[in-house]
Amino acid sequence: MDNNNQPGPLRSRPTLRELAYFGVVSLVLLVSLAIAPAKNYFSDWRHYQKSYLKIAGERQSGTLVRSFQGGIRQTWIAKLGVVDRCESCHVNLTGALVGATGQPFRKHPIIPHDLEQFGCAICHRGQGPATSVEEAHYTTEAWEQPLLPARYLESGCGQCHLGPLQGAPRLNEGRALLSSQGCVHCHIVAQPDGNVLKPEDNPPPLTHIAEKTSREWIYAWIRNPQSYAASATMPNFQLNEQDAADISAFLMAQSTASPTSHIEITTASTAAAPGADASTEAATLYGASFCSSCHAVQNEAGNLVGGNFGPELTRVGAKVNPDWLRRWLSNPAAYHPATRMPHYRMDPKQVALLSGFLLAKKDSDFLANAHLAPASADSVARGKKLVTETGCAACHQINGVNPPQNFAPDLTHVGSRALAQVVFAPGMKHNLPDYISAKIHDPRSFGPGLKMPKFTLGESQIDALTTALLSQTDHAASFPKELIISGGRTSNYHPGGEAGRIMDDLRCLSCHAINGNGGDMAPDLTWEGSAVQRAWLEDFLKNPNTLRPALIRRMPKFNLSPGEIKTLTDYILTAYQSPGFDAQTMDAHALNADAAARGKQLFYAKYGCQSCHIADYKNDKGYVGPALTSVGNRLTPAWTYKWLKDPSALRPATIMPNFSLKDDEARDLTAFLMTLKAKQGGGK
Amino acid sequence: MSMATTIKSEFERLRNTEVWRTIFRSGSGASNLHRAQAVQQNIFLHLFSVKVRSRALEFSPTWYLGALTLSTFFILIATGILLMFYYHPSVPQAYADMKDLQFVVASGVFLRNLHRWSAHAMVFLVFAHMFKVFYRGAYRPPRQFNWVVGVFLLLLTLLLSYTGYLLPWDQLAFWAVTVGSNIAKAVPFMGKQIRFLMLGGNEVNANALLRFYVLHCVILPLAAILMVGVHFWRIRKDGGLYVPEKKKL
Repeated sequence: MDNNNQPGPLRSRPTLRELAYFGVVSLVLLVSLAIAPAKNYFSDWRHYQKSYLKIAGERQSGTLVRSFQGGIRQTWIAKLGVVDRCESCHVNLTGALVGATGQPFRKHPIIPHDLEQFGCAICHRGQGPATSVEEAHYTTEAWEQPLLPARYLESGCGQCHLGPLQGAPRLNEGRALLSSQGCVHCHIVAQPDGNVLKPEDNPPPLTHIAEKTSREWIYAWIRNPQSYAASATMPNFQLNEQDAADISAFLMAQSTASPTSHIEITTASTAAAPGADASTEAATLYGASFCSSCHAVQNEAGNLVGGNFGPELTRVGAKVNPDWLRRWLSNPAAYHPATRMPHYRMDPKQVALLSGFLLAKKDSDFLANAHLAPASADSVARGKKLVTETGCAACHQINGVNPPQNFAPDLTHVGSRALAQVVFAPGMKHNLPDYISAKIHDPRSFGPGLKMPKFTLGESQIDALTTALLSQTDHAASFPKELIISGGRTSNYHPGGEAGRIMDDLRCLSCHAINGNGGDMAPDLTWEGSAVQRAWLEDFLKNPNTLRPALIRRMPKFNLSPGEIKTLTDYILTAYQSPGFDAQTMDAHALNADAAARGKQLFYAKYGCQSCHIADYKNDKGYVGPALTSVGNRLTPAWTYKWLKDPSALRPATIMPNFSLKDDEARDLTAFLMTLKAKQGGGK
Repeated sequence: MSMATTIKSEFERLRNTEVWRTIFRSGSGASNLHRAQAVQQNIFLHLFSVKVRSRALEFSPTWYLGALTLSTFFILIATGILLMFYYHPSVPQAYADMKDLQFVVASGVFLRNLHRWSAHAMVFLVFAHMFKVFYRGAYRPPRQFNWVVGVFLLLLTLLLSYTGYLLPWDQLAFWAVTVGSNIAKAVPFMGKQIRFLMLGGNEVNANALLRFYVLHCVILPLAAILMVGVHFWRIRKDGGLYVPEKKKL
């Protein structure tokens, strides 16, 4: 039928109903296609930029409105992998619009870095490239690192600043706690520069423990260390009675005789002089030896008084064996070679007095419930197994048990651990800071089989530890090397020779740092030889007194012999000289009475030094810095002059401001200070 | 009605202009010859039959599944080309580009989702199309070769879908391709070699990403376009769409 050249019959025209369907479907398609550009237009950042411009317009900030660069704004730093678009909404970070306070228009607080230098997310976390409120701040399907709560913010600093950092107290505290609580005995915490944090809690060796204490005390102590001493560093392993009994049996069994166990210290003088006089004398000796600089004792009100550098002594009488205590006081290093306790030169009478004083600090309740069956061989064997499993040897030296290796998870990159690798306890929020802090707060809540013990830490300490751990990110390890600021204090300096032997015996480095090694409780002595005068130093070593009236911690009196004092003084004045610093450079003629009079004017009038220092006890009330009443005896003129010119060049951590003194002003002040001398006969 | 007539006469006038005739080679005229020439002599239309039975244009014989598949393919080409403007097939950049599509490219999420959903739809429609052809018996001679072409097109569709899966470079992509390439490794005797060839190495990494990108954006689409051409040409040559007789009640 189709072989003619005429067109075949056409299909019928669409009906009205078909046209209506077509129209509706087309409309639906058009509307759904319009959703995408609409969503694009009604974006969060456009909304915030509009309201910012509205506020600026209301405040008549015409130039601000005109110069405003709209659109998505970003900080892009290729070498750090930073693409942060936070500024698209947070448009007022520099504070150009004064008084715009609510977020997202708040001004960023002043920080030591340029805001563009590192972007935002390196410190604040969150999702930098995101341009919506939800994606940028919170955990979403494809992003598991929400904004960091403000209390952990210092962890950002810690990624580059590996040592103590001014202005980041929480980070510093956290890092110190990692060392002082002994966390790093079990966990490895390595920093991007390769430095591995070292423990600083100085746990005692247990190799001669039977000489020191009883099995009952060990039992009670390991069951709950804090019931013996509230401030004890040793964590609670939540051992049951049987386990604690077995461990104590093993610890007694493995104990060997210490090298000095045969030495008998006479107790004659204590026996001869009991009574009120003796106890007063002993208390005076305890005070004069400044034991409380390091050791705390609970007072009647329940407050700890004293330092936390050594163990708390509130119930020490319930712990130690009297013979051991006397030997310990005579020479601590004989029992514990790595102890931080100095070797006081005490005579037998002093030892007897002090040990009697300490042994009286008893608490009969502490051992009341420790009734142990005699140790059997089974019990000892089981105790050894428990000691090995619990990891006691990670901290303590124990005969026959090697320190465990890779005992606990490596925390080097814990600050960027993927949440997929984290096992959360039921009911907790799924984010890293909460996980870390919950883990520190109560490790066993994550499962009964976990080994980590419970530490006694306050909320702020847990926050500090969490901050320090959050700073251990893996991207910090890939930052350009020039950004990493190492912590220093990594040298192994030890003084040599005869003086070195004395200084080691006195454990000077427990408190003082010298050439990058040592504690931070007392002044750095690296350049002490340039600073002080011989007569003062000799006098000080003979009878130390504090230079700072407000300090409780003081240098103890070691009862050094004149020979030892001479050796130490010679060594300090020779070895600890500041480089390029000649004590003779100061022109003696410049320090005349005229200059001193001008210096006094500068001291009191121009610079108001008396607000921090005391030059005259009668009038001055400055308790911030050291008293200067006898500074003319103490310091060398050259050091004083240089110090006044630029204090932080000599001691980087000093809080003394640099007043940018002119040369003659510094000279006049030095002249004045050198006139401040102690009255004859006293060094005070 | 007069409006429709006007448009019609205007269109006839346009078809008679020299420009139109230069481009499309056929002039106006409503005779069957003119209409046949209009189709045959046009490079774009010559793939199609000159004549179709009006029954073939109804919904029931085909459910329009082939046409719908072709539409999704066009959407995929169009959105795919736009996506290529924003995408670097490199390990450090690929995932960041996904994020940028989401965060800064205007309607970027729409673009990506359109590509993704069209891909899913195409796989679904290809299967539906083949079932329809199979159960209707439309694969029988003389259309048996076009069925074979169709099977190749199914494989190309699946490969396009699979290669595109790796490109976002997220965990899902990575593990999907790890699993997929390990399946290829299970081939007897030469499994390892096949896997090596697929990934350009022994694990899913930068080389695999580049390979999958080239396959996804160049080789497989070109092959698919070629096969689609053959498929359509054969429809015409095999006597048009298969339309079963309407059963008389």
